[in-house]
Amino acid sequence: MSRFRVSMDIGGTFTDVVAYDEEAGTYVAGKSSTTPHDLTEGVLDALATIDSHPELCGFTVHGTTQGLNAFLQRRGERVLLLATAGAGDVYHIARGNRTRLYDIHFRKPTPLVPRADIVEIGGRLNYAGEELEPLDVDAIRAAAHRAREEGFGAVAVAFLFSFLEPAHELEAERVLLEELGDAIPVSLSHRIAREWREYERTSSTVLDAYTSPVVRRYLDRLEAALQQKGLRVPLHVMQSSGGIVTAQSARQLSLQTLLSGPVGGTMGGVALARMLDRPNLICIDMGGTSFDVSLVVDGRPDVSTEASLEGFPLLMSVVNIHTVGAGGGSIAHAEAGGLRVGPESAGADPGPACYRRGGTQPTVTDANLVLGRVDPAWFAGGQMTLDVEAARRAVATLADELNLDPVELAEGICDVINAKMAQAIRTLTVEKGIEPREFALVAFGGAGPMHAAFLAQELDVPEVIVPRFPGAFSAWGMLETAIRKDFARSYFTPLADLHHEDLAAVLAGQEREAVEALAEEGISESAARVEHALDIRYVGQEYTLTIPLEGADEPAADGFPETLSSRFDAAHETRFGHANPGAPIELVAVRSTGLGDLGRAEPQRLGSRDGAGYPSEEQAIVFGRRERSARVARRDDLQPGSVVEGPAMIVEATATTVVPPGWTLRVDEFGTLTMELS
Amino acid sequence: MTAVRTLDPITTEIVRSAFSAAADEMNATLIRSAYTPIIYEMKDCSVALLDADHRVLGQSAGLPIFLGNLEICTRLTEEMYGREGWQPGDVWIMNDSYLTGTHLNDMTVFGPIFVDDELVGFAACRAHWLDVGAKDPGGPMDSTEIYQEGIRLGPMKVVDGGVQRRDVADLLGRNSRFSYPAVGDLGAQIACVRTGQRRLEAIIAKYGKETIDAARDEIFAQTERFERAAVAAIPDGVYRAEGSLDNDGNGTDPCWVRLTVEIRGDEMTIDLTETDDAKHGPVNCGEAQAISACRVAYKLLINPGNPPNGGAFRPLTVEVRRGSMLGAEEPYPCQWYFTPLGLLIDLVVKALADVLPDQAAGASYGDSMVIGITGIDHRNGRPWLDLEPTVGGWGAWRGSDGEDGLINNVNGSLKDLPIEVLETKFPMRMTEYAFRTDSGGAGRWRGGNGIVREYTIDCPEAQLFLWFERSVTPAWGLAGGGDATPPVVVVNPNTGHERRMLKASRVALVRGDVIRTMTGGGGGFGEPRERDPEDVRRDVRNRHVTPEAARDVYGVE
Repeated sequence: MSRFRVSMDIGGTFTDVVAYDEEAGTYVAGKSSTTPHDLTEGVLDALATIDSHPELCGFTVHGTTQGLNAFLQRRGERVLLLATAGAGDVYHIARGNRTRLYDIHFRKPTPLVPRADIVEIGGRLNYAGEELEPLDVDAIRAAAHRAREEGFGAVAVAFLFSFLEPAHELEAERVLLEELGDAIPVSLSHRIAREWREYERTSSTVLDAYTSPVVRRYLDRLEAALQQKGLRVPLHVMQSSGGIVTAQSARQLSLQTLLSGPVGGTMGGVALARMLDRPNLICIDMGGTSFDVSLVVDGRPDVSTEASLEGFPLLMSVVNIHTVGAGGGSIAHAEAGGLRVGPESAGADPGPACYRRGGTQPTVTDANLVLGRVDPAWFAGGQMTLDVEAARRAVATLADELNLDPVELAEGICDVINAKMAQAIRTLTVEKGIEPREFALVAFGGAGPMHAAFLAQELDVPEVIVPRFPGAFSAWGMLETAIRKDFARSYFTPLADLHHEDLAAVLAGQEREAVEALAEEGISESAARVEHALDIRYVGQEYTLTIPLEGADEPAADGFPETLSSRFDAAHETRFGHANPGAPIELVAVRSTGLGDLGRAEPQRLGSRDGAGYPSEEQAIVFGRRERSARVARRDDLQPGSVVEGPAMIVEATATTVVPPGWTLRVDEFGTLTMELS
Repeated sequence: MTAVRTLDPITTEIVRSAFSAAADEMNATLIRSAYTPIIYEMKDCSVALLDADHRVLGQSAGLPIFLGNLEICTRLTEEMYGREGWQPGDVWIMNDSYLTGTHLNDMTVFGPIFVDDELVGFAACRAHWLDVGAKDPGGPMDSTEIYQEGIRLGPMKVVDGGVQRRDVADLLGRNSRFSYPAVGDLGAQIACVRTGQRRLEAIIAKYGKETIDAARDEIFAQTERFERAAVAAIPDGVYRAEGSLDNDGNGTDPCWVRLTVEIRGDEMTIDLTETDDAKHGPVNCGEAQAISACRVAYKLLINPGNPPNGGAFRPLTVEVRRGSMLGAEEPYPCQWYFTPLGLLIDLVVKALADVLPDQAAGASYGDSMVIGITGIDHRNGRPWLDLEPTVGGWGAWRGSDGEDGLINNVNGSLKDLPIEVLETKFPMRMTEYAFRTDSGGAGRWRGGNGIVREYTIDCPEAQLFLWFERSVTPAWGLAGGGDATPPVVVVNPNTGHERRMLKASRVALVRGDVIRTMTGGGGGFGEPRERDPEDVRRDVRNRHVTPEAARDVYGVE
C-alpha cells in the first residue's frame, strides 16, 4: 500500500518530513529531533507524527548535507592527487586571483590536498587530444603503493586535456584498480566534469574524492535501514541542480548532491510558480542567522554551470543561491558615533542575546523581539523560548551609547537591515538584467515572512507570498521536482568553422547517454525528455551564455548558423543590455539535460469552511516608532478567503508572518498567504 | 519635526548604505554591459557617486589604485568651464594623463545630476579601454612621449542635453584598433553614469534633500572621526622609505621613488617630492594618480573595512613635485604609470611598518610582470596575441606566511590563463607552471613564493614582448624577515643561445624556442631562526623550501 509521497530533510537539530497523503489529498508536515547515532530513528519518529511509516511510502526523496558538512568541518577523506607532470601546482596556484582588493593580508582558501600529496605523472596530450608523450604507468603504480602504505582514503586523477581524450585517466584507473582493488575509491576528472580549464576541473575532482566516500557510506546506511524498516520503493536524493536521482546513481556521482541543501526551497518556488501561475519569483530564505536569495525566472530555477564553495570552484549544474549578509544574527553596534548593523554575525553560538547562550550584543532577532514581532513562546515551533528581557537589555545598552530610545533603536536596527537586504537583492537583479517590480517575493525560513513585507516595499515588489510550511518549505519543494541528469562537454569551435554533422552526432550521443541514464532511474523512454543547449560567446569574450536548442538534430538543419546567431544576440541583449549582431561567435560547450517526471502531488485546494472568520488576539507591536494594537492569529485558524488587515502577525509552528500597517493579507484556496500593500 | 537635532543615527545609516548600494549598482551596470574582459574580468574600472562639491557619497570597489581619483575629473572640468558649464542631460569624457593622472587607456566618463534645476551631484566612472590608438597594439612598452600613447582628450561632452554625440563616438572609434569594443565600452560607461543619476535622484526623492545633506555631513564626520582616531594612534614622527624601479623601459638607470611619512597628532603627510625627475620612458604618472596610490596605502593601513566617502582621507596630505616621475607634465610618457605606484604603495607600508607592526606586511613581488607573444597562427593564417600579467609571491605579516602565486595589486581580481585555454587558442605549449621554490623571503613568517611559467613556441615564427620589474629592489622583508628573490626571464635556458632579459620589445622567436619566466617572491616577516621548526619541515615536505635553505637559513635539519 503506497499512500504517502514523502520528503525527508535531516538537519543538525531536527528531522523534518513533509508528506502528501494521496488518499486524503492533503499535505502534512512532521518533525522530530535528529538522532545522530541512527538517523533512521529520527525519520521514523517524524513519520510517526503524521501517522505514516516506511511501508506506506510510495515515493521518497531525501536532501542530504552529509557531503557538505564533511567539507565544512574538513573531515573528508585524505586525498592523493595525480596530476600531469609540469602542472602539479595548478591546484595550489588556483588561478592566482584575489577576491578582496583592499587586503594586503589576503590568503587563498587552504587547498584540501597539501602540495606534498600531489604526484606528478608523465604523459601528455595536446590541444587536440593527441598523445605527445605516453602515460608513465610505473609512476601510477608507485602512487598506488603510496596511497596504500600511507593510508589515503581516496585518489583523484586530473590530467590535462582529459576532457577531450580520457584515455590516460582511464588507463590510470585501470592500473590503480589492479593495485588497490576497490579499497580506495578513485575520482577521474573527465567523469566529474567533462569541461576545459584544468584548475576548475581538478578542484571539482578533489572535492568529489574528498566528500563522496562520506556520502556513499551514509546513503548505504540510510537506505538499508529504511528498507529494513519496510521501505519498498527506491530512495531518491536531491541534487544541486534542483533535480533528483535514485540513491543508487547518487552513489556514483555523489558530488552532485553537495550543494543540494538549500535548493529544495528554490524548487518549491518553481512549484509555487506553476501552482499560482506567477512565473517570476524572488525567493528569500531567512533563518535565525542566515539570509539566502534565489530566483525563479519564467517558471524555471536560475541554474549555473559552475559554483564556488568557500572559494573552491565546482563545475556542475547548480541552482544559484546567493548568501547575503547574516540575516537575524547580524549584530548592531556603534562605530565613530554611528549605528552599524552587521556584517559581523552572532551566528548560532552564542547567537542573539535572547538565546541566552552568552550573547550580549543586540542582533536583528533581538530587535524583532523587542518590537513584539516575534512570539517568544513560538520560536522554532516552541522548541526554544526566547528571553525578551535579555533582548531588551542588549538593545538598551546600545541605545544609551547612541543616545536613542530603545524602541526607536530596535525598529531602526530592523529598518537598516531591511534596507541593506533589499539593496543586495536589487544589485543582484541588476547584475542579471531583471526588474524586481515584475517579480513576486516568496518568503520562507523562520524569519523570512517576518521581514518580507518591508523588503518588498523597499524593492517596489507588489506582492509577497508566504507558502504553507514556511519552515519546512525546502522539504515541500523536494516533493515537487523531477529526475534530472546533466551531461556536458567542452566543444570549442568558432561558429564559422562548425562541422554541423559532427555537432549533431555529439548531441545525439549525449541524448542516448541521457536516455540510458534515465532508464536506470526507472524512467521509460516515452516519459524521458532531453533538452540540449550550447555555451556560446562573441569571439574575444570570456563569459558564455547557455543557449537552448530545439533538439539534437537542430544543427543539421538549414540556416542553423543564422538561427543560432540571432538566438544568441537576443539572449545577450536581454542579459547584458546590448548585442552585437553580425559579430563572430564561438561555441565553448555542449550541454544535455535528461528530465524524467515521476508524477507529482496535485495542488491541494482547501475547501472554505463557514465563512472566513477566525479567532485572534490583540497584541502591541511597534510600527513607525510607536506601539500599535495588532491582531495576532494562528495560521491554522485561517481559512481560504480569510483577510487580515495590518498591523497584524500570523504565528505558526515554524515561522512568524508580520503584516505591517497598510498591508492586507489574504489566504488563497491552497492555504498560501499573499500580502499586498493596500 | 520640532526640535532642531542632528539627524538620528538610524536614518544616517540607512542613507549611508543607500549611497554605497547606488555605487554598487553603477558598478554592476558597468560590468554587466562592458564589452572587454579587461573591465568585466580584471575589474579595471571604478565608479563613484559625488555630491555637488565633488565629494564622494559612495564608491564601489574597482581597481584600488583608482581610489579617490574620480572627483578630480569633475573638479578640473568645473575649473575649466565654470559651474555654469554643467547642464542637465550632459555626459562628459576625458583621459588626459596629466589631468586624470593615469594612462590614456583609462577613460573617465561623468555627468552632473540635477533635481528641480539644482545641481545635486555627479556620477562618474573610469574604465580601461583595450586600445586608444597608441603606436603599438594595446599600448607601447618603449614610448618616449605621450603622443605615442594614443588619443588624448581634455574634458569634452559625449552626450549633449540627453543626445549622444555621434561625432565624438565616431572620433573615438576611429582612434582605436578595436573600435567596436571601444564604442561598446563607451555605451556601458554612459549607462553606468545614467544609473548613478537615477539612483541619486531616487534617494533624494525618497528621503528629501535636507535629510540627505544632514546624513551626508554626519557620514563624513563619522568617517573622519574614525580615521583621525586611527592616525592619532600612530606615534608621531617622520618615517622614510625608498626603492627603485630597474629602469624606465628605455634607459638603464634605476628610477628612484623616495618618500617620507610624517605623523603629527591626527594628521599624516606623505611627501613624494624627493622622487626622481620625470623619465624618458613610460613609467611616469600624473599627480592625481600619485595621490590615489598614497590613499590606497593609507586605506590599507588605516581603514580597510569601510567603503570610502568624502570624509575619508581628510587627515592625509600628499606632497608631489611637479615635473617629477610622480607629477608628470607634458610630454613625458605615462603608459606604465602603475609600475612606480605598486612600489610606492609598498614603500608607504614599509615606512610605517615599525609603528604599525600588526597592519604592515612584507613587500609583494611588485609589478604586473607582463609577457606578450604575438604572431600569425600557421594553422589558420590568423594573427594572435597572448598578453598576460603573471602572478607572484606576496609579503608575510605578523601571524601569517605571505601568499604564494597571487596576482599583484593593480590587476584587481584577474585570473591566470589556464593551460588548456592557452594551448587551444595559441600555437604554444606550456611546459611548466609551478611554484618557484625558495623565492619567498625567509622569516618567522615566510614570504610567498613566485612562480615559474614556461612557454614553448609551436609555430614557425613569433615575437616576444616583456615588462618584468623589481630586480633592483626585490620584495623586502620586515622585522628581520629576509628579502625575496627577484624575477628572471630566460629565453632558451641551458642552450648555447641562452638569453636573459626582463624588458623587451619585438624579440624574434622560432618554433621550439623556450621562454621561461620566473616571478619574484614576497618579503618575509620576523627572524627566520624564530620560525617554528615544524613549519619549516612542512615547507620542505611541500617543496616550498629546499632542505639546504631549511638548514642554512632556518637552522632546521
